[in-house]
Amino acid sequence: MLSSSPRPFRSLAPALIAGAAVLTLSLSACGSAATTDTAAAAKGDAASVSNGAAQIAVSVEKVDGEDQCVPDFASAPAGPVTFTISNKDASAISEVELLSDKRILGERENVIPGLKAVSFTVTLAGGEYQLYCPGAASEYQPFTVTGSAASAAANGLSGLLKEGTAGYATYVSGQVDSLVLAVAALQGAVDSGDVAASQKAYAEARPFFERIEPVAESFPDLDPALDLRVADVEPGTEWTGFHPLEKDLFESKAITDSSKALAAGIVKNVATLKSLTAELEYQPEELANGASGLLEEVQSSKITGEEEAYSKLDLVDFAANIEGSQQAFEYLKPALKDIDATLTDQISAQFETVNTALESYKDADALGGFKAYTEELKKSDAAKLTALIQSLQAPLAKISEKVATV
Amino acid sequence: MSESIPAADTLSRRTFFNGTAAVAGVGGLVLGAGGALAGTAAKAPAALSDVDLMAQRATLSYPFYGGHQAGIETPPQDHLVFTAFDVTALTAVELQLVLAKWSAAMAELTAGAPVGKIQPEREQGIPVDTGEATDMGPQGLTLTLGFGPSLFDERFGLEKFKPLNFADLPAMAGESLNPALMGGDLCIQACANDPQVAYHAVRNLARMARTAVRTKWTVLGFGRASAGAAQSTPRNLMGFKDGTRNASGGVDFDEHVWVGDEAGQPWMVGGSYLVARKIHMLIETWDEDPIGDQQSIFGRDKKQGAPLSGTAEHDVPDFHATVDGTPVIAADSHIALAAHENNNGLKILRRGYNFTDGLDSVGRLDAGLMFLSFQKSPEQFITLQRKLGSSDRLNEYIRHVGSGVFAVPAGIPAAGSYYGKEFFA
Repeated sequence: MLSSSPRPFRSLAPALIAGAAVLTLSLSACGSAATTDTAAAAKGDAASVSNGAAQIAVSVEKVDGEDQCVPDFASAPAGPVTFTISNKDASAISEVELLSDKRILGERENVIPGLKAVSFTVTLAGGEYQLYCPGAASEYQPFTVTGSAASAAANGLSGLLKEGTAGYATYVSGQVDSLVLAVAALQGAVDSGDVAASQKAYAEARPFFERIEPVAESFPDLDPALDLRVADVEPGTEWTGFHPLEKDLFESKAITDSSKALAAGIVKNVATLKSLTAELEYQPEELANGASGLLEEVQSSKITGEEEAYSKLDLVDFAANIEGSQQAFEYLKPALKDIDATLTDQISAQFETVNTALESYKDADALGGFKAYTEELKKSDAAKLTALIQSLQAPLAKISEKVATV
Repeated sequence: MSESIPAADTLSRRTFFNGTAAVAGVGGLVLGAGGALAGTAAKAPAALSDVDLMAQRATLSYPFYGGHQAGIETPPQDHLVFTAFDVTALTAVELQLVLAKWSAAMAELTAGAPVGKIQPEREQGIPVDTGEATDMGPQGLTLTLGFGPSLFDERFGLEKFKPLNFADLPAMAGESLNPALMGGDLCIQACANDPQVAYHAVRNLARMARTAVRTKWTVLGFGRASAGAAQSTPRNLMGFKDGTRNASGGVDFDEHVWVGDEAGQPWMVGGSYLVARKIHMLIETWDEDPIGDQQSIFGRDKKQGAPLSGTAEHDVPDFHATVDGTPVIAADSHIALAAHENNNGLKILRRGYNFTDGLDSVGRLDAGLMFLSFQKSPEQFITLQRKLGSSDRLNEYIRHVGSGVFAVPAGIPAAGSYYGKEFFA
């Protein structure tokens, strides 16, 4: 990625291949797991344990003309529990989740008639759970776990999520610290009156902001003060922040007193951002929504070329948005893997695809390290870029619900 | 809406086609045979109020499961969304998931049901179904899936499932094809009596496959331009009745539309081939053409739709009739060139729709016919189009700008299977 990135990406598996392999495994894991006596209500006694886990077979099927989820047992002893799900003929149901209150502990999507059975394993402590089958005539089935296993998956999950959000907070702080330095350098260049040096400093500062844009956006006054585009300026109000300075540096290519005032204002507002973010704690769903929000940013203002209308640095911002989005995802990944491994692999693969595609836009000689996003480039490539980002956002948007703490 | 009124799907499709005008009083509603009403409303035993008619159209539903896919023999609904897709997935497993998901979702959509939660309970939930067709009823929605020749290349290892002699259409006269409107690995023909219901279906199918499939081209049709069983013949945007001599009835379908063993693929037995041609009409110049020329170009009169050799629409054209030694129906008129009498008995099932896309790049009305035809072999279309493309006088006023040919598999017999299942055994 960008050479200025303070934190390298965690190493990603060759995700496309890995994703496909996992999918194949999960599709073919349990060819004949469905119970034969599924129309009957779930038996009251607890499931038997084999392979170190209690085995629950969930048949998704039509019962008296209605789509239903039918587990063979409604109870299991505390410890690892494997749910094996097959869809006989209920086309309205395509996923099955295990819930503790509203929290998703494990889930399988693509539970579709005609496909082979899929399964997931969770470690459960004693208590009441629900099997949730969206689209079923009875969507919630109570599921009881008897006894009290010491380490419940739910606790393990919240631990993983806590680590993830704490890690993300550190990441944000790191970006803000770098941003503080970068805008100080920008101010220095502007004050010196050197347009070329200022352009370079501008291009170097932008990614630090763009990587954490959803965090900055959570402060309703600060984001407009720093990042308002000309089209969004209310008539009669003052236009401040990066973009009027961008206009001076890249359109009029002249540094005036007002340019210097703009640079000073950016430094001041970034200092405020630093103090506001210093003690912030994040919820897992905030990371997830932020990751998805960054992809919204890419689609609505970078691919359209609106963000950096004068400097044509949209692809620099684009790459920074993607990087910020991927970082948020990576911090959630350890927990997300337990909840939905298939989806996790799918998202990793899509990030890989996007990052590979971005490689072809790199240009070491260009400002910010990426090709200028000219009208010609936009015309030839915008549709392709849109499709790439949409393919990533579709699965990524789903994770918020899965890691939500309520 | 769909809950409160008994759905018309209790009427069998067979009844519908035989046009026996099954009239069942259910819940105070007279349920005629849905779309057939357009042609036979005047004969209905009791006058239906507008509200009842609307409700009846809304609740009309066609069975999704069966030997043939719906949307072929089905009398054409009023609106079309035709979309071709390219598969971007790199593995056969991903393609398999798309086909399985689509099949299950199509069963729900054609029954008027959403494809998942419109309003999830959890605050952080992303709505699964996009919601714009909520409570609108099935509206006679049919979803017809096709596979393009490119699907059977080496990407997914499907070469051995390719039907015999299945290939992209050859270049033909009269074309100015736009590469952005050509081909596709997959296509969906969505037809419904409400445009929003058809659009919702395609939008949601595309959405659920977004990581594996990319929309390539799409055409929205706003009015049917062909007649099915018991329907009156509609008009194309040139103002002429289109499809008067369409393939119809069981014999025609067996002989000209449904594929048997010819394709060499069991999954195509009971299927058909769909040819899609987006035809831009040069409307402004056509509009200034004298009526005599217009009628002689088609070989029919404009108001009645009667062949120039006859007096009523369904009169059999007499291609040998002459006046003062000149044929009444010109040999290069549209109906003469397309007539089965002049093509060794060859027929196709036309199922096209009028479309408009605003203005074209040079400021003309961008409108015309989204020609859709079903046939036992693409050769039927190719034979006819070669002839029309080289000598049809209509060519002065039309340009073929989009094109695709798709193998439409047989229907899914019952829940528990999906289109293309044979590919992944």
